[in-house]
Amino acid sequence: MELEPRTFDREFDLAELLTGMPLARMAPILTTLLDGEFRLVTVDGRLMLGRAESFAQPHCVAIRHDLEPLGYLESASADEACLSAAAGMMELMLQLSARYLMAADLHIETVQEDYASLKESEARYKALSEELEARVRQQVETIETAQRQLYQAEKLASIGQLAAGVAHEINNPIGFIRSNLGTAQQYVGDLSRLVALMKTGDIAQCRAAWEQADMGFVMEDFAALLRESINGADRVTKIVADLKGFSSVDQAEEETVDLNDNLRFASNVLAGQLKDKVELVLELGALPKILCLPGHLNQVFLNLLLNAAQALADQGRITVQSEAAGNEIRIRISDNGCGIPAEQLDRIFDPFFTTREVGSGTGLGLTVCRDIVQAHGGRIDVESKVGAGTTFTVNFPIG
Amino acid sequence: MAEFDEVNRKITLKLVYYGPAQSGKTTNLMRLHDLLAPDLKGEIMTLETQNDRTLFFDLLPLGFRTPSGWLVKLKLFTVPGQVAHDATRKAVLSRADGVVFVADSQRAQSANNAEAFQNLEENVQRVGLDFSALPLVVQFNKRDLPAAQILSEDEINQRWAKAPWPLVFSSALIGEGVKDTFVRLLQQVYPALDKSFALQEIHGVDQQSFVAAVTGG
Ligand SMILES: Nc1nc2c(ncn2[C@@H]2O[C@H](COP(=O)(O)OP(=O)(O)OP(=O)(O)O)[C@@H](O)[C@H]2O)c(=O)[nH]1
Ligand SMILES: [Mg+2]
Repeated sequence: MELEPRTFDREFDLAELLTGMPLARMAPILTTLLDGEFRLVTVDGRLMLGRAESFAQPHCVAIRHDLEPLGYLESASADEACLSAAAGMMELMLQLSARYLMAADLHIETVQEDYASLKESEARYKALSEELEARVRQQVETIETAQRQLYQAEKLASIGQLAAGVAHEINNPIGFIRSNLGTAQQYVGDLSRLVALMKTGDIAQCRAAWEQADMGFVMEDFAALLRESINGADRVTKIVADLKGFSSVDQAEEETVDLNDNLRFASNVLAGQLKDKVELVLELGALPKILCLPGHLNQVFLNLLLNAAQALADQGRITVQSEAAGNEIRIRISDNGCGIPAEQLDRIFDPFFTTREVGSGTGLGLTVCRDIVQAHGGRIDVESKVGAGTTFTVNFPIG
Repeated sequence: MAEFDEVNRKITLKLVYYGPAQSGKTTNLMRLHDLLAPDLKGEIMTLETQNDRTLFFDLLPLGFRTPSGWLVKLKLFTVPGQVAHDATRKAVLSRADGVVFVADSQRAQSANNAEAFQNLEENVQRVGLDFSALPLVVQFNKRDLPAAQILSEDEINQRWAKAPWPLVFSSALIGEGVKDTFVRLLQQVYPALDKSFALQEIHGVDQQSFVAAVTGG
């Protein structure tokens, strides 16, 4: 059976019990008591204290501890009684020493035990915290996935709104181009009849017919119609070109643009969706061109405009202002709608924060806006008063 | 498990008195010191106490020489019963070869007995001993107290009927049942000792002479 090192209840030998005793001071005391030189040796003959050479004919007394002799005290000079008394005193000292060692080692054992159980609980806590960390990571992943999905939904929602706006924008020119072409068809009919008369060679009849058909006006109007239609076709071309700014957000390239164009475009898109009693006012100041991702900024402006429109419900006014102030471009989009309560104002840029119905796809709108603006080195701020309206201010650095 | 020291020709055993606070563990040891007359008997070493309550342990060394010339040494320990000293209790219990569980017969102490016994079971496992193989005697102490105050023997026998351990009724204060308890423990300890060290075959010590040598007949 092997013992663990230094258990408090181990068997002590003489050497161990003597450690910690002031042996240097004991030696002269024993010499005095024993009336001369002495030897303190272990049971197996090792010298612990006293004279190095053994005595020729010593008196010898066992030093016992617990039940057994641990060593011997030898003297040539002392009588038996003195020697026994000295040995008895040594035994008492060894007993005290044993008490001390046992108490000390028991203490160490319990402390180590506490330490071991501390380690054990520490390990448990570590495992627990790792598990928690893993769970948090998982949670974060879930949230991120949800966020991505929401972002996607958000994009789809704005694409839907965009599509509605664009349809309206295109419908208008297409409408008048269609009606112009209808009129042009009539004019061509009138011209055909005149051409037929001209072939008869009757100039007087031709002239009467010309007057009757008011061909002077027709020719003038015809030219105007074509001009207007060409303009309309150009507008459609422009809209389609602008649309690219929205459609290629993911692989966007930087361009140098006048942000007023973007504001106008976003306003046009919004205008198609506004109720009759909602007024949209543009107060655009001259701006220096800046390098940006126009498609992304279109999204920001459209998002802010849609927010404003939603705040207004049936009637009110949306104002879009722009100005160059110092080394910044400042854009303000305000409405005089319901406003945002102060306690919500701090949170409106937080992801998933929405005061509107779930599923209306606006939970991430302002978060995305802020991200885009910050990616351009800009700032977005909001001021609002319940019942008075809301103003979003977007600042971009110039250059 | 007992320590086997070939160099010094010595076998050392550790026996532990366990139980709730104030049940009479220290008193058992003091009575044993008086009652037993083995070949070799040391003094009781009492570590620290506080109002008579053990803070570390008490230790009584006993021993005898085998016909083969070996020293068989038994170290009897008591643990501190107070709940707070569990770490000490565990350290003292470590490496035990046998245990006496000293229960307090007073009715009011039933819950403490149960708790201490459960604590013994837990600590036995914690220090890596096998509870089912551990020699154990259960002693119900303080039988000298008025009957109204203590559980009757019938009640106790009934409660412990299913338990495999010897049950001894005692009054350590008077000295009754103390030696009997110890003998019952020695009888359980002997077989394992004989198996490990061939006490009978090599050292010429059978169970009866083992008990007689330790107790002094
Ligand atoms: N009446 C009666 N009193 C006893 C008996 N045995 C012990 N006592 C008393 O109970 C008290 C506690 O005894 P101890 O032996 O110190 O108890 P312990 O189990 O060592 O207690 P801890 O060291 O605190 O765990 C003392 O006052 C003893 O005199 C007994 O058999 N009968
Ligand atoms: Mg005690």
